[in-house]
Amino acid sequence: MAGAVESSLVSEDTSGTEAVAAGVVGIAAILFGISLGSMFELLSITDPIAGIPMVALLGTLLTLLGLGVIGFGLGSRFGYVATDPRPSAGLVASVAFSGIWFAVGGLVASQSFGLGTVGWVAVAFVTGGLAFAGTALPREDIGSTLPVGVFAVFVGVVFLTGVIGPSWVWDLGWEQQASFNAEFSIPVITAFCSLLVSWASAKAYGGFGARGRHVGAYLLVYLNALSIIAVLFLLVAFTVFKGLPGLFNGLTFGLGSGPETTLFGFTFAWPFAWPFVMNGVALLNDVNGVLPAIVGTIWLVIGAVVFAVPLGVGAAVFITEYADRGRFTQVVEVATNGLWSTPSIVFGLFGLAFLVPRLGNGKSLLAGMLTLGFMLLPLVVITSREAMLAVPDEYRDASAALGVTKWQTIRSVVLPASLPGIVTGIILGVGRIAGETAPILLTMSGSVAPPGSQTVDVIGGFSFTSSPPFVSNPELLQATSALPYQLYSLITAGVGQSSNIANIEQFRWATALILLVVVLSFYAVGIATRYYFRRKLQHE
Amino acid sequence: MSKTSQTTEDETKRTDQPLEVTAGETREQTQDEWTDYDFESQAKFSVEDLDVYYGDDHALKGVSMEIPENSVTALIGPSGCGKSTFLRCLNRMNDRISAARIDGSVELDGEEIYQDGVNLVELRKRVGMVFQSPNPFPKSIRDNISYGPRKHGDLETGFLSNLLGRSDEDEVDELVERSLSQAALWDEVEDRLDDNALGLSGGQQQRLCIARALATDPEVLLMDEPASALDPIATSKIEDLVHELSEDYTVVIVTHNMQQAARISDQTAVFLTGGELVEYGDTDQIFEDPESQRVEDYISGKFG
Repeated sequence: MAGAVESSLVSEDTSGTEAVAAGVVGIAAILFGISLGSMFELLSITDPIAGIPMVALLGTLLTLLGLGVIGFGLGSRFGYVATDPRPSAGLVASVAFSGIWFAVGGLVASQSFGLGTVGWVAVAFVTGGLAFAGTALPREDIGSTLPVGVFAVFVGVVFLTGVIGPSWVWDLGWEQQASFNAEFSIPVITAFCSLLVSWASAKAYGGFGARGRHVGAYLLVYLNALSIIAVLFLLVAFTVFKGLPGLFNGLTFGLGSGPETTLFGFTFAWPFAWPFVMNGVALLNDVNGVLPAIVGTIWLVIGAVVFAVPLGVGAAVFITEYADRGRFTQVVEVATNGLWSTPSIVFGLFGLAFLVPRLGNGKSLLAGMLTLGFMLLPLVVITSREAMLAVPDEYRDASAALGVTKWQTIRSVVLPASLPGIVTGIILGVGRIAGETAPILLTMSGSVAPPGSQTVDVIGGFSFTSSPPFVSNPELLQATSALPYQLYSLITAGVGQSSNIANIEQFRWATALILLVVVLSFYAVGIATRYYFRRKLQHE
Repeated sequence: MSKTSQTTEDETKRTDQPLEVTAGETREQTQDEWTDYDFESQAKFSVEDLDVYYGDDHALKGVSMEIPENSVTALIGPSGCGKSTFLRCLNRMNDRISAARIDGSVELDGEEIYQDGVNLVELRKRVGMVFQSPNPFPKSIRDNISYGPRKHGDLETGFLSNLLGRSDEDEVDELVERSLSQAALWDEVEDRLDDNALGLSGGQQQRLCIARALATDPEVLLMDEPASALDPIATSKIEDLVHELSEDYTVVIVTHNMQQAARISDQTAVFLTGGELVEYGDTDQIFEDPESQRVEDYISGKFG
């Protein structure tokens, strides 16, 4: 039997092979890092690293990797390395490798040898079939290393010989003249190869068999998670990097250097001047800023939350605690889920057609708040309902057995226990609405590059009047700007180019960064609140 | 105590009872005979012809029994025999199950609890309940104890009461200490009354639940397998506690554990599959000389 290698409980000294396998995985990880870096233009494939041209370096490393993996497979097959392989590498690996080799064969036949459709398809089938047989038929140690190793060596040689070099372009020949250039292709191919090879060498490191498969899967899962986190981090880092110069333009410290602010009747001067977040856009400003949009966004979110949370939680209390579970609650559930997936522009249109004419017949902060509140409402209902359903019935029984009424039970037991869940829902919802552009565009947009004097002052605008409704706050009915909307207009509509913003590119990125910071601040507040309520519920 | 003396004692006890099974009579009793059973103390609950249906399922069939005051009554029987259902009828907890329908009469101190106009808050204040798994609220120990009285408006605490100078914080402290002492938990938690109750061990949590039920000053304590989720040491603490409580309270306890019923109860009611009350009487008699063959089989482990 092919796979019958005696396996013992304690394996022989394998430190040597493990070191080699770890080295191979290490090289693969380096390659993966380089390719990720060059995909995000942190590294350029035309620049040499330590005097060696990048493509040549990649090619050499790939060839080495391929040879290393092949060596592993052969070493294991001929008994130089103690492993525990299965009789076959398995169907999934066979299909995957045959797909890779199908593509390689087809590409070589059509691109290098210029064969026609029939020719390249035939070659592709031959290479694909060979790879399938080469993976499925031999023992696992050969099947899961040889096709991968040969592929890596092949790619390495292609890079080294310059068949694919820094100036290589693959024209797809489509109507749109789309093409892949080397800047993009080489990192992608390298990353793919290094993933494959590191999987194969991780399997070898685990000695094939069940343990090898476990190690291989472990590596793939970890690399996947790491690269997702890396991509997200790069995304944020990119924005921060691009936004910082514009953000801190003209920042000065010193007592009384900042503008004067009046809050609740107290007037004070900020001890620093930060033009980008303290100014609007005006002709006389040294440095222009986005203060009106920041304040607009903050009030918008506060208004939407104040409007949606009591209503949403109330609705959730009704459908969870009072309404009998049945057709009615099902319909409500489907409807709320549907509302949550409704595109925001539809909410915006509703706001424009229904709210705007009824609220002073003009776009206004209040209309925007209510529209976003309507958007937030379904998520608050859904998550509050989930949170209340998760409160154990034992609490309700215990409370009822003490003779406490249903409403008192809800207020003092169910709601406190479900607060962390409700807050989670609000966090998610705020994350979505704070970045919404379409509803703002339709319901509250003011001027696209507002001067500082157009900053809404909701607290200061409040006053008592002698006739009903006895209060007035004209600021609520003023059209105002918000960060996503300002960003949108700065980028797409080309607004600002003609106005007096000095460096429009810097200004855009700084606006994007401020939007990110404002949204993340709301997140932070939400998470801190949730943490506080959790602490109260748990035994600490 | 020697075995002989025990038997004599039992026999004397039985001769006192008006319901004597004479020789030659069939050992199978009819229900009517022992519902007239006259306990020494007054009946706290008298239940007559109680039927409970869950939808189409007839969970309790014509149960009649009287539960005497200031004693421990154990309800035993196999799973699904309706003993918990019966217990939950005594404080109308079955009302919370929308599919449940209840027929018959349950009187508490001579007052029908299944009639219009019964104040459930008042009923449940008088008839407290402890559940199978410990279920303290995720609040502090102090808040758990004072929860009932505060919600009933018997104690005023909080910001507004403080402001108006009507705060009953001292009374809360007193209540917390009294209830916890009654539940034999005070010494263990004295120093951490403001800690979350979920940090206590299972046995402590269950005693906290008993203390919570005692805090509303009930007359009856219903216990639904209060020790089934606990280890032997915690169980024996609960059993001791039940024994002590029976001096001042009427305790009705459901248990799966027949030794436990034998140890702690004064009367035992045996429910068997199908929701029937098969036999009810003094615990010693039920365990040593049951009238019904089915009960004897159940107790000796041949069935159930």
